[in-house]
Amino acid sequence: MAKKADLSIEYLGVKCENPFFLSSSPVGGCYDMVAKAYEAGWGGVFFKTVGRFIADECSPRFDNVSKEDTPWIGFKNMEQISDKPLEDNLQAIHRLKRDYPDKVMVATIMGSTDEEWKELAELVTQAGADLIECNFSCPQMTSHAMGSDVGQNPDLVRQYSKAVSSATKLPVIAKMTPNIGNMEIPAIAAIEGGAKGLSAINTIKSITNINLEHMTAMPVVNGKSSISGYSGAAVKPIGLRFIAQMKSHPLLKDIQMSGIGGIETWRDALEYILVGSHNVQVTTSVMQYGYRIVSDMISGLSYYMEDQGFQKLEDMIGLALPNIIPAEELDRNFKIIVDIDHDKCIGCGRCYVSCFDAAHQAINWDFENRRPSVNDECVGCHLCLNVCPVPDCIRPGEIKYKDESKRIPKDIAFQTRYE
Amino acid sequence: MSKVTSKNQLQGKEIKRDYLDEAVHGYNLKTAMEEAARCVLCYDAPCSKGCPADTKPADFIRSIRFRNIKGAAATIREANALGGCTAKVCPYDRLCEEACSRTGIDRPIQIGRLQAFAVAMEKEYDMKVLEAPEATKEKVACIGAGPASLACAQRLALQGYKVTIFEEFDKPGGVLTYGIIPSRLPQDVVDFDIQKVKDLGVEFVLNKKVGRDISISQLKEQGFKAIFIGTGLWKSKALDIKGKDLSGVTSAVEFLKKARSSMGQMKVKGDVVVIGGGDVAMDCAATAKLLGADKVTIVYRRTIEEAPADIAELEYVQALGIGISTKFKPQEIIGEDGKVKGFLAEGTDGFSQLKLKADHVIFAIGQEAENMKEIADISLNENGTIACDLNKGFTNEEGIFAAGDIVNGGKTVVEAVAAGKSVAESIISYLSKKEGVK
Repeated sequence: MAKKADLSIEYLGVKCENPFFLSSSPVGGCYDMVAKAYEAGWGGVFFKTVGRFIADECSPRFDNVSKEDTPWIGFKNMEQISDKPLEDNLQAIHRLKRDYPDKVMVATIMGSTDEEWKELAELVTQAGADLIECNFSCPQMTSHAMGSDVGQNPDLVRQYSKAVSSATKLPVIAKMTPNIGNMEIPAIAAIEGGAKGLSAINTIKSITNINLEHMTAMPVVNGKSSISGYSGAAVKPIGLRFIAQMKSHPLLKDIQMSGIGGIETWRDALEYILVGSHNVQVTTSVMQYGYRIVSDMISGLSYYMEDQGFQKLEDMIGLALPNIIPAEELDRNFKIIVDIDHDKCIGCGRCYVSCFDAAHQAINWDFENRRPSVNDECVGCHLCLNVCPVPDCIRPGEIKYKDESKRIPKDIAFQTRYE
Repeated sequence: MSKVTSKNQLQGKEIKRDYLDEAVHGYNLKTAMEEAARCVLCYDAPCSKGCPADTKPADFIRSIRFRNIKGAAATIREANALGGCTAKVCPYDRLCEEACSRTGIDRPIQIGRLQAFAVAMEKEYDMKVLEAPEATKEKVACIGAGPASLACAQRLALQGYKVTIFEEFDKPGGVLTYGIIPSRLPQDVVDFDIQKVKDLGVEFVLNKKVGRDISISQLKEQGFKAIFIGTGLWKSKALDIKGKDLSGVTSAVEFLKKARSSMGQMKVKGDVVVIGGGDVAMDCAATAKLLGADKVTIVYRRTIEEAPADIAELEYVQALGIGISTKFKPQEIIGEDGKVKGFLAEGTDGFSQLKLKADHVIFAIGQEAENMKEIADISLNENGTIACDLNKGFTNEEGIFAAGDIVNGGKTVVEAVAAGKSVAESIISYLSKKEGVK
């Protein structure tokens, strides 16, 4: 696994050896943890949010969502900001920067008044942080003057961004909540307040499971539970969407983004880069697997760049954005009929069931030979292709045009692969 | 092109009945991912500790799991010059898979098949994992083109030594090319691993047996500063019983080599008795059956539990309909007109008797060393193997090293790889005048 390309990138004026960061969370809350993460290869850390507020946590505080035999599709976490005294955290930040000067240290802070935000900004600047991230988005704070209640209020976001920016020379990043329809509104407010970068997404307010015995949500805390933040692989599509939408807004398109949400592999990270992120932040998969997962992120991304001939990470930022367009602008002039490879087909009939029950009754089933065949009703929706358990058994086939005069070259229509 | 003719299930694997077909289906990306997802991703992973050649299964499985297939392939190639071959022939049930923590839940991760998948992807992606620096350092000769030499040569070439492998036969690979049934180890897998060694600039001189066609002193005159002996064991042990010289009696080494060289064109007619209980015996029995024998019987003097053969191999021959008679000791090969007609064995219980019609009898009771004194005047053990430390490989002659079966008396491919790797370090240490200089 030796492959190590140059993955360095400049983020808000700070040189980063790679785009892989821990997010402000339980995975980066003290000196020993962050030191180990640095040694494992992480380019930088958003230190677990510090503030005057010291969290008093409940037990237990996590839950996960599984489907069939796959656990941790999604993860619920009830931890708040740091439960350590501010002074301890400042000292850890200082020592980490001293001992690992080439690694990036972002201090994530959370206050409840202008004065507190300013004070925190000054303190972490003195401690030696490279950048400051304002946590406007933790959805499980026990104080409503903090967290995602702030992030949903553009005026407060603007006000606190301004307070922090006025108190430090360091670039300020605003971390956004996804518990909102249009993230662009508070994001623009943050930039108006002086923030230079944006991070998204923080966790999504959730109830992961209901405990059928105790009649409350999971995890059960002395018979009760609370709504709190949801993360993990299940939220990646939501994170990608928010980053892409912000990056497509005229007032935000030049703002540097830090992508967060469901990143486990180099591919997930790359996807965030392709929709416009300068780097990515990871927590849930580190909670599940440990810091070691970064080595395959580094190696996998290096192989990809070499294969595709990319010299610099920067050259890939936002490459997918021009191709993500409003639904009304999509080319709707053709349908791609599917081909079923009867040699590969194992005769399970899943395509038949899904096509009949959820699509267009376009597959006939041969009971004797246990084989499906496509009839004239096929609209090219590819539901069958999504449910088929055999790789490359059902494939995109003939292209039928609604308006024959507007044909397109076959090679762009289309490399449909569902992974 | 599938030649599956039987739907028999062996641990979910279909039994193939063509000599050149692999017995086990390979994984595709999806099935490999499913298997990798079963891995519990241990801390301080026991599977990695269980690999003699340090192939790092925990690392490559994790790479597959996190969609870094190329990284997985690179990990294997860097650690193990014969990553493709060992993926097929390792006795996992005694190594990495035995150590697998998942066994505590249900059954171990199929590490060998994941390794085979990663190596297959290395080939598909046409990856060039290793790059050797220009060979500016000393010339080293490796004798024998089998696992130990190939592993040793890979290490040395990566450090800039100029390595030449001398091989007696007309193809490289040693036991990989001549001694294992293709259903377990297809030739293209062997050739791919060897090509990766060639790509590092290692030269192969074929059809040249050191000690017969060229002497050690000639090699030294040609400028070879260190010599590595990795010749393996090529002399079949035979039992001194009546009828051992009849036509139709053959050694496992000869039989397997002939079958592989013929690429499956050799035909076996009549009934076959194979004597032995190791993987080689299983390979002989399966080869005989797949090449047309009517009835094949394995006769072994101990119990199934004591048989050194891999469990998968035992299951495979049984799935092919080959019987195993245990606790029988060969007594006589019955002949007629100078040819084998039958086989007689007595039970180790002192009562049972076994009389089988036979047209061929194959001795697969182990191999021994050829006369190593023909190569060099080095100290030997009583059984003819070379006397030296298993991992360091220094013989009593300065500048001459040895590893693999010729030292350990016949173990696995992966152990030969491990020893070849480790002795390469001794050679480097010797050539940089740190160790072994007299």
